[in-house]
Amino acid sequence: MNSLALIFGPILLAGIMGLIGRKADTLGKYVALGLFSAMFLYSVDLLTVLPVKGYYDLGRFLIVAPFDFALTLQVDYLSTVMLILTSILLLLVTLSSWTMKAPSRYFALLILFSGPIFGVFMSTNLLWFFIFWELTLIPMFFLIGIWGAERRIYASVKFFLYTHVASMLILLAFFLIYHQSGSFDMNLIKESMLTTPILIWWLLFIGFAVKMPIFPFHTWLPDAHVQAPAPISVLLAGVLLKMGAYALIRMVILMMPEQSHHFGSVILVLGLITLFYAGFMALYETHLKKMVAYSSISHMGLVTVAISTMSYSGLGAALYEMIAHAFIISPLFLIAGFLHHKSGSWQMEDMGGVMQKAPYLSALFVLAGVAALGLPGTMGFIGELTILISAIKHYGLSLMIVALGSMVGAGYMIWTFRRVVYGEMSKTVEKSDFTMNPIEFLALVLFAIFILFFGLFPSTLFDVINMAFTSFGGIQ
Amino acid sequence: MIGAFSLLFMSALFSLGLHRTRQLKSFAVVALLSASYFIYFPAPASISGFATSNAVTLFEILLLIVVLAIILHEEEELTITQTLFITAGAIALLEARTLVSFIISFEALSILSFVLVSHIKNSIHAEGAIKLFIAGAIATGLLLLGTALYLIGGGNLLEPFSLHSSTLSLIGIFIILMGVFYKLTIVPMHGWAADTYAQIRPSHAAILSALVKTVVAIAAFRLFAPILAEQSYFSLPLLVTLSLITMTLGNFLALFQQKIGRILAYSSIAHAGYILLAFAAVKSTFASTGLLYMVIAYLFMQTAVFLTLDILRNRYAFQTLNDLKGLAKHNPLLSFFFSVQLFSLAGIPLLAGFMGKAVVFYAAVDAGLWYAVLIALINSALSVGYYAWIIKHLYFDETTQEHKPLKHPLVILSQSILLLGTLYFGLFASYIFIVGKSF
Repeated sequence: MNSLALIFGPILLAGIMGLIGRKADTLGKYVALGLFSAMFLYSVDLLTVLPVKGYYDLGRFLIVAPFDFALTLQVDYLSTVMLILTSILLLLVTLSSWTMKAPSRYFALLILFSGPIFGVFMSTNLLWFFIFWELTLIPMFFLIGIWGAERRIYASVKFFLYTHVASMLILLAFFLIYHQSGSFDMNLIKESMLTTPILIWWLLFIGFAVKMPIFPFHTWLPDAHVQAPAPISVLLAGVLLKMGAYALIRMVILMMPEQSHHFGSVILVLGLITLFYAGFMALYETHLKKMVAYSSISHMGLVTVAISTMSYSGLGAALYEMIAHAFIISPLFLIAGFLHHKSGSWQMEDMGGVMQKAPYLSALFVLAGVAALGLPGTMGFIGELTILISAIKHYGLSLMIVALGSMVGAGYMIWTFRRVVYGEMSKTVEKSDFTMNPIEFLALVLFAIFILFFGLFPSTLFDVINMAFTSFGGIQ
Repeated sequence: MIGAFSLLFMSALFSLGLHRTRQLKSFAVVALLSASYFIYFPAPASISGFATSNAVTLFEILLLIVVLAIILHEEEELTITQTLFITAGAIALLEARTLVSFIISFEALSILSFVLVSHIKNSIHAEGAIKLFIAGAIATGLLLLGTALYLIGGGNLLEPFSLHSSTLSLIGIFIILMGVFYKLTIVPMHGWAADTYAQIRPSHAAILSALVKTVVAIAAFRLFAPILAEQSYFSLPLLVTLSLITMTLGNFLALFQQKIGRILAYSSIAHAGYILLAFAAVKSTFASTGLLYMVIAYLFMQTAVFLTLDILRNRYAFQTLNDLKGLAKHNPLLSFFFSVQLFSLAGIPLLAGFMGKAVVFYAAVDAGLWYAVLIALINSALSVGYYAWIIKHLYFDETTQEHKPLKHPLVILSQSILLLGTLYFGLFASYIFIVGKSF
């Protein structure tokens, strides 16, 4: 019953908070903090009960006899890692939204988001997976549309429509799977049951590629990320994109290994294009947050390359890089959003010399930046190195070009430091007041601690990550 | 059927005497509740040509609940009486099993709906009412022409359609179907619907677009499903094409409207396309379940949005999207009701609209129509464009106008009933799946 409460409890709680309205203004963030801590403890606790191989059952609910519509909740190491990551990010997002305006509605929506996202990672019934997948759009639509920047309405409607259309391909694929195999249970579905596996593979791949996002389906992301309030950009990058990668691993690579082998080169090439295209776009951008958004897409390109190897080491590296990406890109988004909030400008040429005005903030920005370009000692280095090794192991030395991706990364990051953090102090920066709420600053510090800790002691994370993929048979 | 029908009919007659008294509404509520008792415990006697089934019983009870919500909302006395008459006619049509009982109940329902809209107050109402009347007359003409051909071809009025009819009879059957499509607003028989739904009183439009349409859909499915399955060589391409054209055109035209009423009217036409997809998928074992689910979901959400529109028009004099700007600030409850139902129409999960579409679309995939489902899914996704656009006006825009918040208890109760239906059937599917097989 516990697991069901974690999914539907937040939805009910959000409804209650919405009804109470403004009277819950001061209480909202504490309720959110309490709920997300409970979710964090619950998902960490799952680690102790998980079996080495296969799923841990959390129950079957809402059984419909003639149709396989039962809400089956099961977790394994892969989903538990995602649950822990999600709950940590939700906690940190709550901290960094401490001074958000209209807090009761904001935190009600944040809580509304937390229920379905847990459902996505827990449910092994394809139809329910889809239901939760779609449900995460509603709170995001409102969060971007109400709290976003100048072009928030365009961005939120585009985000909603674009990802919703892509989801329809996923739904059609699930229907075809059910029609051909007679089951929505992702553990029972085998590729050999399907009569049109190629069609299903492409529908699923495109559907998930939009969420990842993989070139050429990435165009919704720069708009949504730039216009969203900074903490919501963190959720978009840290949770929503990871949802796409998780689904790609689980439902494309692991559920349909033969077709994925067959089309492995498609994933690889699109991953490489995403890596370089987004990297060069980031190099070209003068809009600070857009630069961060493109850097985020570029990192997801790396994840895609790692996934395309379909090897034990490659998937492990992909999962590590997904976590690293969440911790690295989030402080960059938060600081970019904060600089815009205080200085009123998005353009890098208006900034410069932030270091002199806000040294601690700048130090954190530089730390996250060098982690993004893969400096040893940070999470970014381990992630990129393991991906490089697994790619070369699988495809041969030609995949050395992945390393060039990091060099492009170094290019745009260091140039951004030069334009924003160092250099002469600009007039805009001189006028602005960069004092930050201590709790929001605490969130940034926590992100920095994660980046350094798992960068210096990657084995603590790899112990769990490796478990995620040992439990699957059939992968070399 | 006799019990509920005669009870509703008699109480509608009796309610005429209660006009200008305070008891009318409570009398109507009592009549509806006792009618649902008679439906749940049917009398052993029955009339030939009418038969009920588990699916119909479930739908009738839900229909009475929705009518209850309409009556709680309604303030015009004539409309309350007319609603009771229409409900009686609807119950007769739902249980019709032969062509003659179908035609009689269908015509009764048509005439009752003309009477409903005949309470004309201005020229805008008049245009909508006249268009409904003309379309209804054409539908009747087609129905009778088809029946005549069916009889000449050797058909029997007093039995369900024979599966081995002559060619002439088959032509007659398809002409009858076209007449029925007028009521279902299938393109190209939809011309009247947008004007009528948008220009008559929204609470009347709720009855016409939600209640009458769903009842006709179920009755037509019961009558035509065997013959459509038998003649699938001809009916399948016809129904798939009409269904796809209807939903695409409805969604496409809805995108460009400024008036809220017109957006909802075109959305109703688009939903007729989804309903027709269940007819096309008739070979699948899930087709009847899909139709039942779609129709139940549509009944709740469509009634709710048109009743909301009624509130917006009558209490706040809103007409266009621009009037809606920033409504959520002053009127959070009404905006909440409205946006949940709109999300349900858009097919967002955990609401009845999603499940309705999902089951219909699965039935179509099951019948081998996956390419049609792809178009339908893209349609449904793009329809989010205009639903989300309404919600954008409600929540994202700022306003300088002040509006009094909605505090009318009966209206809130009626909206809550409809919301409960939308939420319940979004989550609990099993009962519909159980009764959906016995159509």
